Amino acid sequence: MRRAGRDLLIGALFTALSGFALRALVTARSAPPSPSQQSASMASFSAPSAAAESVASYDIDAKLDAVTHRVSGHETIRFVNRSVAPLRELWFHLYLNAFKNDKTLFLRSPFGAGRSGDKAHEYGYVDVKKLTLVGEGAADGRDLWPNRDLHSPADPEDETDVRLPLPSPLAPGATLAVELTFEDQLPEIVERTGYSGSFHFLGQWFPKLARLEPDGTFAHFSFHALSEFYADFGTYDVSLDVPDAYRVGATGKLIRESHAAGRNQLRFHAENVHDFAWTAWDKFEIKSERIAGVQVSVLYPPHQERNALAELDSVRFALPHFNALYGTYPYDTLTLVHPPSGADNAGGMEYPTLITTGGPWYATFGGGHFIDIVTIHELGHQWFYGLVASNEHASPFLDEGLNSYAEAEAMEAHYGAGAVFDGFGLSVSSTALNRAASAARGADEPVAQGAADFASFRNLGALVYSRTAIVMATIGRVYGQARLAHAVGTYTRRFRFRHPGPNDFVAVIQEELGAEAATALSSALFARGTVDYLVREIANAPEPSAAGVFDSPSGRQQKKPDPPHAPGQYAGRVVVYRHGTLELPVDIELTFEDGSRQRRHWDGHGFTHNVDYAGPSQIIAVNVDPEQRILLDDDLTNNWHSVNGSAAPRAFERGLYAAQLVLGELGP
Amino acid sequence: MTARILPDRLTRLTASSAASMLLWLSRTVLALLVAYPLLSAIDATGITGSPEHDALLFRPGSLLLLELARLGLPWFGAIFKISLLLGALSALCELLPLAGALDVLHDSERPLAERAARTLRHFPRFLALGAITWAAQAALLLAASLLDTALKAALQHADERLLTLAPVAWFGLALLAGSWLSGVLDVARAAVVRRNANARDAVLEALATLREQPLALLCGSYVSTIAGLFGYLVAAWLMTRLDLSAQMPTRIALAFAVHQCAIVFGIAWRVRWLRRALELGARDSRLSSGC
Repeated sequence: MRRAGRDLLIGALFTALSGFALRALVTARSAPPSPSQQSASMASFSAPSAAAESVASYDIDAKLDAVTHRVSGHETIRFVNRSVAPLRELWFHLYLNAFKNDKTLFLRSPFGAGRSGDKAHEYGYVDVKKLTLVGEGAADGRDLWPNRDLHSPADPEDETDVRLPLPSPLAPGATLAVELTFEDQLPEIVERTGYSGSFHFLGQWFPKLARLEPDGTFAHFSFHALSEFYADFGTYDVSLDVPDAYRVGATGKLIRESHAAGRNQLRFHAENVHDFAWTAWDKFEIKSERIAGVQVSVLYPPHQERNALAELDSVRFALPHFNALYGTYPYDTLTLVHPPSGADNAGGMEYPTLITTGGPWYATFGGGHFIDIVTIHELGHQWFYGLVASNEHASPFLDEGLNSYAEAEAMEAHYGAGAVFDGFGLSVSSTALNRAASAARGADEPVAQGAADFASFRNLGALVYSRTAIVMATIGRVYGQARLAHAVGTYTRRFRFRHPGPNDFVAVIQEELGAEAATALSSALFARGTVDYLVREIANAPEPSAAGVFDSPSGRQQKKPDPPHAPGQYAGRVVVYRHGTLELPVDIELTFEDGSRQRRHWDGHGFTHNVDYAGPSQIIAVNVDPEQRILLDDDLTNNWHSVNGSAAPRAFERGLYAAQLVLGELGP
Repeated sequence: MTARILPDRLTRLTASSAASMLLWLSRTVLALLVAYPLLSAIDATGITGSPEHDALLFRPGSLLLLELARLGLPWFGAIFKISLLLGALSALCELLPLAGALDVLHDSERPLAERAARTLRHFPRFLALGAITWAAQAALLLAASLLDTALKAALQHADERLLTLAPVAWFGLALLAGSWLSGVLDVARAAVVRRNANARDAVLEALATLREQPLALLCGSYVSTIAGLFGYLVAAWLMTRLDLSAQMPTRIALAFAVHQCAIVFGIAWRVRWLRRALELGARDSRLSSGC
C-alpha cells in the first residue's frame, strides 16, 4: 500500500512535469526577424490620390426578417457615364441568384460550388420588384424591369448577369438615377452569403451595376464559382433595419442608430468604396480599439475572445506595416467579423472596410498562425482589391496573387521563418508553403488568366495565390527585395482608387526593376514560364606543369615531369543546365577539397553554362543558387552535386528515434 | 543487516540494468529495420547529396523539408506501408526480448542457454496475451467512438468548446484505460515467466491482482507510462534548443545522445514496473494460496 501511495505521488509529479514540458514544447518559437529585416522594405513615396472618381453611388434601405431570412430593400443608384461613349443599356449583377437553383452557372460547377466546395442547402435569390428611372428625361415612373433580358447572356439557366436596355442613350458625362425595390431570400450560408441559425452575413446581396469601362462597355459577367467581383467606386449610404437584439457590422461608418418598436435602425455611410457588406447576429460580442488612427472593431462569437484578441494583435502589426508599404488606409473604420461555427463559409473574405476572418475556438493553440494569416490576408485586400480595384473576374492574380505576396511578406516580417507554423521545434514559412503549392501545379495553366478559365479551384489556388506570391518573391530575391517593395508601393499608390490591368502592373515593374525583371515576370505570369537549374556532374583532372625543353631569351630550360602524386594544379569543370523558359541570373558555389569556396555568376542566358576552374585544389561539390533565391526553380533537389555522395546523419538520427518511439508505444 | 541488503540491491540493480540494456538494444536494432526503407527513400530524392547534406531539411522555414515531401510524396506512401509492415513484425519480435527481460528480473542467475530456451517457450503465450490486450484496446477505442457518435446528437446545441473537447475526452479516457490494460497484461506476462502459467491462468492471475491490489497495479503501470512520456517531452523540448541546420557534427551527436537518453529513461521506468508486476503477481499468489 505504501508503494502504491509512493507511485501515486510519482505519477502525479510526472503528470505535472509533463504538462509543463508540453507547454514549453508548444510555445517553443524560432527567433523573430531582426528589426533591420522588418524595416528593410520601407521606403518613401509620393502621396496617392485622396478620392475616387465616383461612378455609381448607392442609397439603400434594407429590412431584415431574421426568421424567414428575407431582406426587403429599396435602392437608389446615382450613376455617371464617365466613359467616352453614349450608353444604351445598363448591366446589373444579381449575384444572389447564383444560389437560386442547382442549374445556375455557380452551382452546376463540376468541382462543387465555389471556393468552399459546398453546395447550397437552402436556396437563395434576389427578386427585383420594380425598376424606374428618376430625374430629368426619365420621370414617367414606368417600371423598366420587365424590359430586361431574362437571363445571363447565352445562358438560359443563369440570372446573375442581366442587361437592361435604356429608353434613351445616356451621353458621356450625363448622370442617371435608378430606383429599385427588391427582395432577397438568403440561402443557408454558401460562399460568404446567407444565414446560419440567427447569424446573417450579406455580401453580394443587392442589385448592383457592372463596372463601366472607359470605352463605354460594361465589364459584366455571370457569377462563376471561381470568380469574384469588379465594380465602380462611389458613395454608399445604407440604412439597415434589424431586430433589436441584433448587433450589426457593416462597411463604412455608423452615423446614426435608433431603437423603436423592437427594431434597431442603423445608418452606415462609406465614400470611395465599391461594395457594401454587412452582418447581423444576436450573439455577437465586440472588441474595439483605435489602431493607427482607425477604429477597429472585431465582432466575434461567444467563447472566441482569444481569437478576437489574436485578430486585433494581427491588425496592430499589419495595418501600420501595410500603411508604410502600400499607402495609408484612408477610411475611419475597419470591421472584422469572425463567423460562428457552422457559418465557416462566411469566413475569409474581403469587402471595403469590412473583412471576415474565421477559425475554430482553439485556432490559436499550438504553433499554427492560421488566425494571423487569414486576418492579415483579408486586411491586405483593403489595398489589393479595395483601393487598387482591379478586375477580380478577369485578372484574379492582381488581387489574390499580389495580396498573397503582401500577406507572406507581412507574416514573415512579423513572425520570421515560423510564419505559418512555429512549434514543437518545427517552423514553416509562408514562402515554403507557397512554393510547395506553386511547384506542384506551376505549369498547368497560365497564372494571368480569368478566374472562370481555371480548370479547378485547386489550380486557381495554387497558381493565382501561391505561384504569384512565389513569382514576386523570386523577383525580389533576384533583383532586390527593397526595389520590389518600392515597385509594389508605387503601383498601389499610383493606382489607388483606380482600376489597373495586368499591363499596368508589369509597366511599373519594368520602370522600377528594369526590362529583364519585367520580362521574367511576364513570362512567369502570362506564358507558363518555368525554370529548373540543375547540375549533373563535376569533372576534375590533375593539370601537371608542362615538361620538356623550353627556349627563352634567358637561355634553354629543361623541365622534368611532375612526380606522381605531387601537389599540383587541378583543372575542373562543372556544367550547369537551365531547363524551361525563364532566364534568371543565378549564383553557383564551388566547394573545394581544401574547404575553400568560390562563387561564380551566370546571367541565365543559354541552356548550359560551363564553370571552368584551375587551381591547387579539386572541386568536391557544386551548389547552384545556394541561397534559394529562385523559388520558381521546379526542382530544388537537383541543384547540387557532390563527389562525396550523399549523407543524412540528421535524418538517420530522427528516423531511428521515431521508430524506437513507435515500437515502444505500440508494441503488444 | 546492511551487509545483506547491499548485495541484494546490487543484484537487483544489475538485473534491472541488464534487462534495460536488452530492451534498448533490441528496440534499436528493430527500429533500424523499420526506419531503413524511409531513410533510403529520403536519400533517393537526392536532397541529401547537397554540400550541406541533410542539414537543409532542418533549416528554419522548412523550404527543403516541404520540397522533400512534395517530390517524395508519390513513393513515400508506398514505402511507409512497408515500414508499417516491418513495424508490426518488429513489435511482435520485441516480445522475445521482453520475455527475456522479465526472466532476467525474475532470476538473474540463470544460465544464458536456459534463459534463451525459456524465452522461446514463453513467446507463444506472450503472443496470445498481446492479442487479447490488442483486442481489448481496440474494443475500448470502438466504445469511445460509439459513445461519441451517440452523444453527438445530444450535444449539438452545446457550447462549441464542449463539442470539440468531448471526443478528445472519450478517446483520452479510452487510451488511459488501454494503458492500464497493458499494465494488467504485464502482470499476466509476469505470471507466465514466474510460474510458467498458461495464457488463461496468467490472465486470471492478473485479474485477481487487479481485484486485490487495484491501486498498486494502476499506479505502478501509470508511473511507467507517464515517466516515459515526460522523458520524450523533455527530449523534444531540448531538441527545439538545438539548431541542426548548422554544420556541426557535435550537435548531431548531442541530438542522438538526448534522444537515446529519453528512450533509455522510458525503458528504465518500464523495467521498474515489470519488476513490480513480478512482485505484485507473486504477492497475489501468496494471498490466494493463504500465505
